[in-house]
Amino acid sequence: MTEALAVATPAPAPAPGRGRGSRVLAILLVATIAVGAYLWVTTVRWQRNSAEWEEKAHEYAEEVASLQMQLDGANSELAAARDQLSTATARITDLANEKAQLGDENVASQQYLDYQTQVSGAAATVASALGQCVSGQEQLVGYLKDSDQYEAADLRRYERQVNALCADAERANDSLQQELRP
Amino acid sequence: MTSPARSLAGRALLVGALFLTGSLGGCGVLPPLPEPVPSDIVPSAPPDLSPAAGGGALSPDGFDAVERMAVRIRNVGCEELSTGSGFAVDDHTLITNKHVVADSKELEVSTYDGHDITVGATATAGLADLAVVRTTDPLPSFPELAKTDPKPGDPVTVVGYPAGGELTVTEGKVMSTTRDPLNANLGEVLLTDAPVEPGSSGSAALDDKGRVIGVVYAKTADDNSLLVPLSTLQDMLADDTAFTPAKGC
Repeated sequence: MTEALAVATPAPAPAPGRGRGSRVLAILLVATIAVGAYLWVTTVRWQRNSAEWEEKAHEYAEEVASLQMQLDGANSELAAARDQLSTATARITDLANEKAQLGDENVASQQYLDYQTQVSGAAATVASALGQCVSGQEQLVGYLKDSDQYEAADLRRYERQVNALCADAERANDSLQQELRP
Repeated sequence: MTSPARSLAGRALLVGALFLTGSLGGCGVLPPLPEPVPSDIVPSAPPDLSPAAGGGALSPDGFDAVERMAVRIRNVGCEELSTGSGFAVDDHTLITNKHVVADSKELEVSTYDGHDITVGATATAGLADLAVVRTTDPLPSFPELAKTDPKPGDPVTVVGYPAGGELTVTEGKVMSTTRDPLNANLGEVLLTDAPVEPGSSGSAALDDKGRVIGVVYAKTADDNSLLVPLSTLQDMLADDTAFTPAKGC
Protein backbone atom coordinates (compact mmCIF):
# COMPACT_ATOMS: atom_id res chain seq x y z
CA MET A 1 0.00 0.00 0.00
CA THR A 2 2.79 2.43 0.89
CA GLU A 3 4.74 1.61 -2.30
CA ALA A 4 1.79 2.22 -4.47
CA LEU A 5 1.32 5.64 -2.95
CA ALA A 6 5.04 6.62 -3.59
CA VAL A 7 4.84 5.72 -7.28
CA ALA A 8 1.59 7.58 -7.90
CA THR A 9 2.84 11.04 -6.74
CA PRO A 10 3.86 13.21 -9.85
CA ALA A 11 6.36 16.12 -9.94
CA PRO A 12 4.71 19.51 -9.77
CA ALA A 13 4.09 20.88 -13.34
CA PRO A 14 5.02 24.51 -14.18
CA ALA A 15 2.13 26.90 -14.15
CA PRO A 16 0.87 27.34 -17.77
CA GLY A 17 -0.01 31.11 -17.31
CA ARG A 18 3.52 32.07 -16.26
CA GLY A 19 5.13 30.37 -19.36
CA ARG A 20 2.83 32.09 -21.75
CA GLY A 21 3.58 35.52 -20.16
CA SER A 22 7.28 34.90 -20.65
CA ARG A 23 6.72 34.22 -24.34
CA VAL A 24 4.76 37.41 -24.72
CA LEU A 25 7.49 39.37 -23.01
CA ALA A 26 10.06 37.76 -25.28
CA ILE A 27 8.09 38.68 -28.37
CA LEU A 28 7.71 42.24 -27.14
CA LEU A 29 11.42 42.44 -26.47
CA VAL A 30 12.24 41.15 -29.96
CA ALA A 31 9.76 43.59 -31.51
CA THR A 32 11.22 46.47 -29.53
CA ILE A 33 14.72 45.53 -30.56
CA ALA A 34 13.60 45.28 -34.18
CA VAL A 35 11.94 48.69 -34.07
CA GLY A 36 14.99 50.18 -32.39
CA ALA A 37 17.29 48.69 -35.02
CA TYR A 38 15.08 50.01 -37.78
CA LEU A 39 15.09 53.49 -36.22
CA TRP A 40 18.86 53.43 -35.91
CA VAL A 41 19.32 52.45 -39.55
CA THR A 42 16.79 55.08 -40.62
CA THR A 43 18.53 57.77 -38.60
CA VAL A 44 21.91 56.91 -40.09
CA ARG A 45 20.48 56.89 -43.60
CA TRP A 46 18.72 60.26 -43.08
CA GLN A 47 21.89 61.76 -41.66
CA ARG A 48 23.82 60.61 -44.70
CA ASN A 49 21.05 61.84 -46.97
CA SER A 50 20.94 65.19 -45.23
CA ALA A 51 24.69 65.59 -45.60
CA GLU A 52 24.49 64.86 -49.33
CA TRP A 53 21.68 67.40 -49.77
CA GLU A 54 23.64 69.97 -47.83
CA GLU A 55 26.67 69.38 -50.03
CA LYS A 56 24.49 69.71 -53.13
CA ALA A 57 22.91 72.87 -51.71
CA HIS A 58 26.36 74.38 -51.24
CA GLU A 59 27.29 73.51 -54.84
CA TYR A 60 24.13 75.14 -56.17
CA ALA A 61 24.55 78.14 -53.89
CA GLU A 62 28.02 78.70 -55.32
CA GLU A 63 26.64 78.26 -58.83
CA VAL A 64 23.81 80.73 -58.07
CA ALA A 65 26.32 83.24 -56.73
CA SER A 66 28.41 82.83 -59.88
CA LEU A 67 25.37 83.14 -62.15
CA GLN A 68 24.18 86.17 -60.17
CA MET A 69 27.52 87.85 -60.82
CA GLN A 70 27.30 86.98 -64.50
CA LEU A 71 23.72 88.27 -64.57
CA ASP A 72 24.74 91.53 -62.93
CA GLY A 73 27.52 91.90 -65.49
CA ALA A 74 25.15 91.08 -68.36
CA ASN A 75 22.55 93.55 -67.02
CA SER A 76 25.20 96.21 -66.78
CA GLU A 77 26.30 95.53 -70.36
CA LEU A 78 22.66 95.51 -71.48
CA ALA A 79 22.05 98.90 -69.86
CA ALA A 80 25.15 100.28 -71.58
CA ALA A 81 24.04 98.76 -74.91
CA ARG A 82 20.57 100.30 -74.47
CA ASP A 83 22.13 103.69 -73.83
CA GLN A 84 24.30 103.30 -76.91
CA LEU A 85 21.28 102.21 -78.97
CA SER A 86 19.30 105.20 -77.74
CA THR A 87 22.17 107.52 -78.65
CA ALA A 88 22.55 105.83 -82.03
CA THR A 89 18.84 106.10 -82.88
CA ALA A 90 18.82 109.77 -81.83
CA ARG A 91 21.86 110.34 -84.05
CA ILE A 92 20.21 108.51 -86.95
CA THR A 93 17.12 110.70 -86.54
CA ASP A 94 19.32 113.81 -86.49
CA LEU A 95 21.23 112.69 -89.58
CA ALA A 96 18.01 111.83 -91.42
CA ASN A 97 16.68 115.28 -90.58
CA GLU A 98 19.93 116.98 -91.65
CA LYS A 99 19.83 115.05 -94.92
CA ALA A 100 16.21 116.06 -95.47
CA GLN A 101 16.96 119.72 -94.75
CA LEU A 102 19.95 119.66 -97.09
CA GLY A 103 17.75 118.05 -99.72
CA ASP A 104 15.16 120.79 -99.25
CA GLU A 105 17.85 123.47 -99.52
CA ASN A 106 19.26 121.79 -102.60
CA VAL A 107 15.86 121.67 -104.29
CA ALA A 108 15.12 125.26 -103.25
CA SER A 109 18.51 126.36 -104.60
CA GLN A 110 17.88 124.51 -107.85
CA GLN A 111 14.48 126.16 -108.17
CA TYR A 112 16.06 129.57 -107.47
CA LEU A 113 18.77 128.84 -110.03
CA ASP A 114 16.13 127.89 -112.59
CA TYR A 115 14.31 131.12 -111.82
CA GLN A 116 17.49 133.14 -112.17
CA THR A 117 18.23 131.43 -115.47
CA GLN A 118 14.75 132.29 -116.71
CA VAL A 119 15.17 135.91 -115.56
CA SER A 120 18.59 136.15 -117.20
CA GLY A 121 17.15 134.78 -120.42
CA ALA A 122 14.28 137.25 -120.27
CA ALA A 123 16.72 140.11 -119.56
CA ALA A 124 18.83 139.10 -122.55
CA THR A 125 15.71 139.05 -124.74
CA VAL A 126 14.62 142.47 -123.46
CA ALA A 127 18.10 143.88 -123.98
CA SER A 128 18.16 142.52 -127.52
CA ALA A 129 14.72 144.01 -128.25
CA LEU A 130 15.78 147.38 -126.86
CA GLY A 131 18.95 147.18 -128.95
CA GLN A 132 16.91 146.50 -132.06
CA CYS A 133 14.69 149.43 -131.10
CA VAL A 134 17.71 151.72 -130.81
CA SER A 135 19.14 150.45 -134.09
CA GLY A 136 15.82 150.99 -135.81
CA GLN A 137 15.51 154.50 -134.46
CA GLU A 138 19.10 155.31 -135.55
CA GLN A 139 18.31 153.95 -138.96
CA LEU A 140 15.14 156.03 -139.07
CA VAL A 141 17.08 159.18 -138.09
CA GLY A 142 19.53 158.49 -140.91
CA TYR A 143 16.65 158.05 -143.39
CA LEU A 144 15.05 161.29 -142.20
CA LYS A 145 18.32 163.19 -142.75
CA ASP A 146 18.16 162.21 -146.39
CA SER A 147 14.40 162.22 -146.61
CA ASP A 148 14.36 163.68 -150.10
CA GLN A 149 15.91 160.47 -151.37
CA TYR A 150 13.07 158.28 -149.99
CA GLU A 151 9.37 158.06 -150.57
CA ALA A 152 7.46 159.71 -147.76
CA ALA A 153 5.10 156.70 -147.53
CA ASP A 154 8.03 154.36 -147.09
CA LEU A 155 9.48 156.51 -144.35
CA ARG A 156 6.13 156.61 -142.49
CA ARG A 157 5.78 152.82 -142.76
CA TYR A 158 9.31 152.28 -141.49
CA GLU A 159 8.64 154.72 -138.63
CA ARG A 160 5.53 152.75 -137.64
CA GLN A 161 7.51 149.50 -137.67
CA VAL A 162 10.27 150.99 -135.52
CA ASN A 163 7.70 152.41 -133.09
CA ALA A 164 5.96 149.05 -132.81
CA LEU A 165 9.28 147.32 -132.21
CA CYS A 166 10.21 149.82 -129.51
CA ALA A 167 6.77 149.57 -127.90
CA ASP A 168 7.15 145.77 -127.66
CA ALA A 169 10.63 146.18 -126.22
CA GLU A 170 9.39 148.68 -123.64
CA ARG A 171 6.53 146.39 -122.58
CA ALA A 172 8.94 143.50 -122.21
CA ASN A 173 11.26 145.70 -120.19
CA ASP A 174 8.38 146.85 -117.95
CA SER A 175 7.39 143.23 -117.32
CA LEU A 176 10.97 142.33 -116.48
CA GLN A 177 11.32 145.26 -114.10
CA GLN A 178 8.05 144.32 -112.42
CA GLU A 179 9.24 140.72 -112.02
CA LEU A 180 12.56 141.83 -110.55
CA ARG A 181 10.91 144.24 -108.12
CA PRO A 182 11.23 142.74 -104.58
CA MET B 1 -5.14 23.86 -13.63
CA THR B 2 -4.89 27.10 -15.94
CA SER B 3 -7.04 30.04 -15.11
CA PRO B 4 -9.17 31.05 -18.14
CA ALA B 5 -8.89 34.73 -17.19
CA ARG B 6 -5.07 34.72 -17.23
CA SER B 7 -4.97 32.87 -20.54
CA LEU B 8 -7.24 35.45 -22.10
CA ALA B 9 -5.09 38.34 -20.82
CA GLY B 10 -1.95 36.75 -22.27
CA ARG B 11 -3.52 36.39 -25.70
CA ALA B 12 -4.74 39.96 -25.63
CA LEU B 13 -1.24 41.17 -24.72
CA LEU B 14 0.28 39.21 -27.59
CA VAL B 15 -2.25 40.48 -30.08
CA GLY B 16 -1.75 44.04 -28.77
CA ALA B 17 2.01 43.82 -29.16
CA LEU B 18 1.75 42.50 -32.72
CA PHE B 19 -0.86 45.14 -33.53
CA LEU B 20 1.35 47.90 -32.10
CA THR B 21 4.36 46.74 -34.10
CA GLY B 22 2.34 46.49 -37.28
CA SER B 23 0.78 49.91 -36.73
CA LEU B 24 4.10 51.60 -36.12
CA GLY B 25 5.52 50.33 -39.38
CA GLY B 26 2.49 50.11 -41.60
CA CYS B 27 0.70 53.33 -40.71
CA GLY B 28 3.67 55.61 -41.11
CA VAL B 29 4.57 56.29 -37.50
CA LEU B 30 7.97 54.86 -38.14
CA PRO B 31 9.90 57.11 -40.59
CA PRO B 32 10.58 55.57 -43.97
CA LEU B 33 14.09 55.19 -45.26
CA PRO B 34 15.18 58.19 -47.35
CA GLU B 35 15.24 58.11 -51.12
CA PRO B 36 18.72 58.31 -52.62
CA VAL B 37 19.82 61.87 -53.44
CA PRO B 38 19.44 62.44 -57.21
CA SER B 39 22.57 63.35 -59.11
CA ASP B 40 20.94 66.36 -60.87
CA ILE B 41 17.92 68.32 -59.66
CA VAL B 42 18.06 71.14 -62.23
CA PRO B 43 14.96 71.02 -64.49
CA SER B 44 15.72 70.74 -68.19
CA ALA B 45 13.68 73.88 -69.05
CA PRO B 46 11.99 76.25 -66.62
CA PRO B 47 8.30 76.01 -67.46
CA ASP B 48 7.51 79.74 -67.27
CA LEU B 49 10.72 81.22 -68.61
CA SER B 50 11.78 81.23 -72.23
CA PRO B 51 14.81 82.95 -73.75
CA ALA B 52 12.60 84.22 -76.56
CA ALA B 53 9.95 85.69 -74.26
CA GLY B 54 9.15 89.21 -75.42
CA GLY B 55 11.48 88.94 -78.39
CA GLY B 56 8.71 89.61 -80.86
CA ALA B 57 8.38 93.17 -79.63
CA LEU B 58 12.01 93.96 -80.33
CA SER B 59 12.78 96.33 -83.18
CA PRO B 60 15.54 95.35 -85.59
CA ASP B 61 17.22 98.74 -85.21
CA GLY B 62 15.93 100.30 -82.01
CA PHE B 63 13.15 102.34 -83.64
CA ASP B 64 9.51 101.79 -82.75
CA ALA B 65 7.17 100.31 -85.34
CA VAL B 66 5.22 103.59 -85.40
CA GLU B 67 8.39 105.45 -86.37
CA ARG B 68 9.41 102.90 -88.97
CA MET B 69 6.19 103.22 -90.96
CA ALA B 70 6.23 107.05 -91.19
CA VAL B 71 7.68 108.75 -94.26
CA ARG B 72 8.60 112.32 -95.14
CA ILE B 73 7.30 113.56 -98.50
CA ARG B 74 8.99 116.38 -100.40
CA ASN B 75 6.78 117.81 -103.12
CA VAL B 76 8.98 119.46 -105.72
CA GLY B 77 6.59 121.66 -107.63
CA CYS B 78 7.28 123.63 -110.77
CA GLU B 79 7.84 126.79 -108.77
CA GLU B 80 7.49 125.84 -105.11
CA LEU B 81 8.75 123.31 -102.62
CA SER B 82 6.58 121.86 -99.85
CA THR B 83 6.84 118.99 -97.40
CA GLY B 84 4.34 116.65 -95.83
CA SER B 85 4.06 113.31 -94.09
CA GLY B 86 2.70 109.90 -94.98
CA PHE B 87 2.61 106.34 -93.77
CA ALA B 88 2.78 102.87 -95.25
CA VAL B 89 -0.23 100.58 -95.45
CA ASP B 90 1.62 97.76 -97.18
CA ASP B 91 5.04 97.01 -98.64
CA HIS B 92 4.68 99.40 -101.57
CA THR B 93 1.78 101.73 -100.75
CA LEU B 94 1.74 105.02 -98.90
CA ILE B 95 -1.21 107.06 -97.70
CA THR B 96 -1.00 110.83 -97.46
CA ASN B 97 -3.13 113.90 -98.18
CA LYS B 98 -4.19 115.06 -101.62
CA HIS B 99 -2.92 118.55 -100.89
CA VAL B 100 0.51 117.15 -99.98
CA VAL B 101 1.03 115.73 -103.49
CA ALA B 102 -0.87 118.40 -105.44
CA ASP B 103 0.81 120.40 -108.26
CA SER B 104 3.86 118.20 -108.15
CA LYS B 105 6.66 117.88 -110.66
CA GLU B 106 8.38 115.24 -108.56
CA LEU B 107 7.76 113.52 -105.21
CA GLU B 108 10.72 112.58 -103.03
CA VAL B 109 10.04 110.18 -100.15
CA SER B 110 12.41 109.34 -97.30
CA THR B 111 12.10 107.05 -94.31
CA TYR B 112 12.75 107.51 -90.58
CA ASP B 113 16.44 106.66 -91.06
CA GLY B 114 16.99 108.90 -94.07
CA HIS B 115 16.71 106.29 -96.80
CA ASP B 116 15.23 107.54 -100.04
CA ILE B 117 12.30 105.58 -101.47
CA THR B 118 11.69 105.58 -105.21
CA VAL B 119 8.15 106.64 -106.00
CA GLY B 120 5.94 105.21 -108.73
CA ALA B 121 2.39 106.29 -109.50
CA THR B 122 0.38 108.72 -107.42
CA ALA B 123 -3.41 108.85 -107.23
CA THR B 124 -5.70 111.29 -105.43
CA ALA B 125 -9.22 110.90 -104.10
CA GLY B 126 -12.00 113.09 -105.39
CA LEU B 127 -14.16 113.16 -102.26
CA ALA B 128 -11.57 113.28 -99.50
CA ASP B 129 -8.20 114.86 -98.80
CA LEU B 130 -6.44 111.55 -99.40
CA ALA B 131 -3.83 110.29 -101.83
CA VAL B 132 -2.22 106.94 -102.52
CA VAL B 133 1.45 106.80 -103.53
CA ARG B 134 2.87 103.56 -104.92
CA THR B 135 6.56 103.00 -104.31
CA THR B 136 9.05 100.97 -106.28
CA ASP B 137 11.25 100.33 -103.25
CA PRO B 138 9.82 98.31 -100.38
CA LEU B 139 8.76 100.21 -97.27
CA PRO B 140 10.31 99.22 -93.93
CA SER B 141 7.13 98.68 -91.92
CA PHE B 142 3.41 99.24 -92.05
CA PRO B 143 0.75 99.32 -89.32
CA GLU B 144 -2.54 97.51 -88.98
CA LEU B 145 -5.77 99.39 -89.56
CA ALA B 146 -8.16 99.60 -86.59
CA LYS B 147 -11.54 97.87 -86.77
CA THR B 148 -13.71 100.92 -86.17
CA ASP B 149 -13.51 104.69 -85.89
CA PRO B 150 -12.42 105.97 -82.46
CA LYS B 151 -14.83 107.44 -79.94
CA PRO B 152 -14.49 110.78 -78.13
CA GLY B 153 -12.01 110.39 -75.28
CA ASP B 154 -9.98 107.67 -76.99
CA PRO B 155 -6.20 108.29 -77.01
CA VAL B 156 -4.56 109.23 -80.29
CA THR B 157 -0.90 109.26 -81.32
CA VAL B 158 0.27 111.24 -84.36
CA VAL B 159 3.55 110.30 -86.09
CA GLY B 160 4.92 112.64 -88.72
CA TYR B 161 7.26 115.41 -89.74
CA PRO B 162 5.82 118.72 -88.46
CA ALA B 163 7.23 121.74 -90.30
CA GLY B 164 9.33 119.37 -92.40
CA GLY B 165 11.61 118.78 -89.40
CA GLU B 166 12.46 115.74 -87.33
CA LEU B 167 10.25 112.69 -87.08
CA THR B 168 7.98 113.53 -84.14
CA VAL B 169 5.43 111.59 -82.10
CA THR B 170 2.68 113.62 -80.38
CA GLU B 171 -0.24 112.42 -78.31
CA GLY B 172 -3.71 113.59 -77.47
CA LYS B 173 -7.32 112.48 -77.30
CA VAL B 174 -10.19 112.36 -79.74
CA MET B 175 -12.48 115.28 -78.88
CA SER B 176 -15.45 114.86 -81.19
CA THR B 177 -16.62 114.36 -84.73
CA THR B 178 -17.45 117.44 -86.77
CA ARG B 179 -18.31 118.69 -90.24
CA ASP B 180 -15.19 119.39 -92.28
CA PRO B 181 -14.62 123.16 -91.94
CA LEU B 182 -12.46 123.10 -95.09
CA ASN B 183 -15.04 121.21 -97.14
CA ALA B 184 -12.26 118.96 -98.37
CA ASN B 185 -13.92 115.76 -97.21
CA LEU B 186 -17.31 114.26 -97.70
CA GLY B 187 -18.93 113.38 -94.37
CA GLU B 188 -17.69 114.00 -90.86
CA VAL B 189 -14.11 114.26 -89.70
CA LEU B 190 -12.45 113.77 -86.32
CA LEU B 191 -11.31 116.60 -84.06
CA THR B 192 -8.42 115.83 -81.69
CA ASP B 193 -6.15 117.82 -79.38
CA ALA B 194 -2.97 116.08 -80.60
CA PRO B 195 -0.56 118.87 -81.61
CA VAL B 196 0.24 119.12 -85.33
CA GLU B 197 1.94 121.68 -87.55
CA PRO B 198 2.07 122.40 -91.26
CA GLY B 199 4.06 119.47 -92.59
CA SER B 200 2.16 117.02 -90.37
CA SER B 201 -0.43 116.63 -93.10
CA GLY B 202 -0.67 113.00 -94.12
CA SER B 203 0.56 111.74 -90.74
CA ALA B 204 -0.94 108.55 -89.39
CA ALA B 205 -3.14 108.90 -86.32
CA LEU B 206 -2.91 105.73 -84.22
CA ASP B 207 -4.83 104.28 -81.30
CA ASP B 208 -3.24 102.96 -78.11
CA LYS B 209 -2.48 99.66 -79.86
CA GLY B 210 -0.63 101.30 -82.74
CA ARG B 211 -3.48 100.79 -85.23
CA VAL B 212 -4.44 103.47 -87.74
CA ILE B 213 -7.59 105.38 -86.82
CA GLY B 214 -7.25 108.34 -89.17
CA VAL B 215 -5.09 110.61 -91.31
CA VAL B 216 -4.12 114.13 -90.20
CA TYR B 217 -5.08 116.73 -92.82
CA ALA B 218 -5.43 120.11 -91.11
CA LYS B 219 -4.87 122.20 -88.01
CA THR B 220 -7.59 124.41 -86.55
CA ALA B 221 -7.16 128.01 -85.42
CA ASP B 222 -7.28 126.86 -81.77
CA ASP B 223 -4.37 124.41 -82.26
CA ASN B 224 -6.45 121.27 -82.53
CA SER B 225 -6.04 118.79 -85.35
CA LEU B 226 -8.46 117.40 -87.89
CA LEU B 227 -8.34 113.80 -89.10
CA VAL B 228 -9.84 112.00 -92.03
CA PRO B 229 -11.47 109.11 -90.14
CA LEU B 230 -10.53 105.49 -90.71
CA SER B 231 -13.97 104.66 -92.11
CA THR B 232 -13.52 107.22 -94.90
CA LEU B 233 -10.05 105.87 -95.68
CA GLN B 234 -11.37 102.30 -95.82
CA ASP B 235 -14.31 103.31 -98.01
CA MET B 236 -11.97 105.07 -100.42
CA LEU B 237 -9.49 102.19 -100.53
CA ALA B 238 -12.32 99.72 -101.17
CA ASP B 239 -13.68 101.80 -104.06
CA ASP B 240 -11.71 101.24 -107.28
CA THR B 241 -12.98 104.48 -108.75
CA ALA B 242 -12.26 106.65 -105.72
CA PHE B 243 -8.69 107.45 -106.72
CA THR B 244 -7.60 108.91 -110.03
CA PRO B 245 -4.05 109.54 -111.25
CA ALA B 246 -2.65 112.78 -109.86
CA LYS B 247 -2.04 115.67 -112.24
CA GLY B 248 1.37 117.25 -112.04
CA CYS B 249 2.10 120.90 -112.44
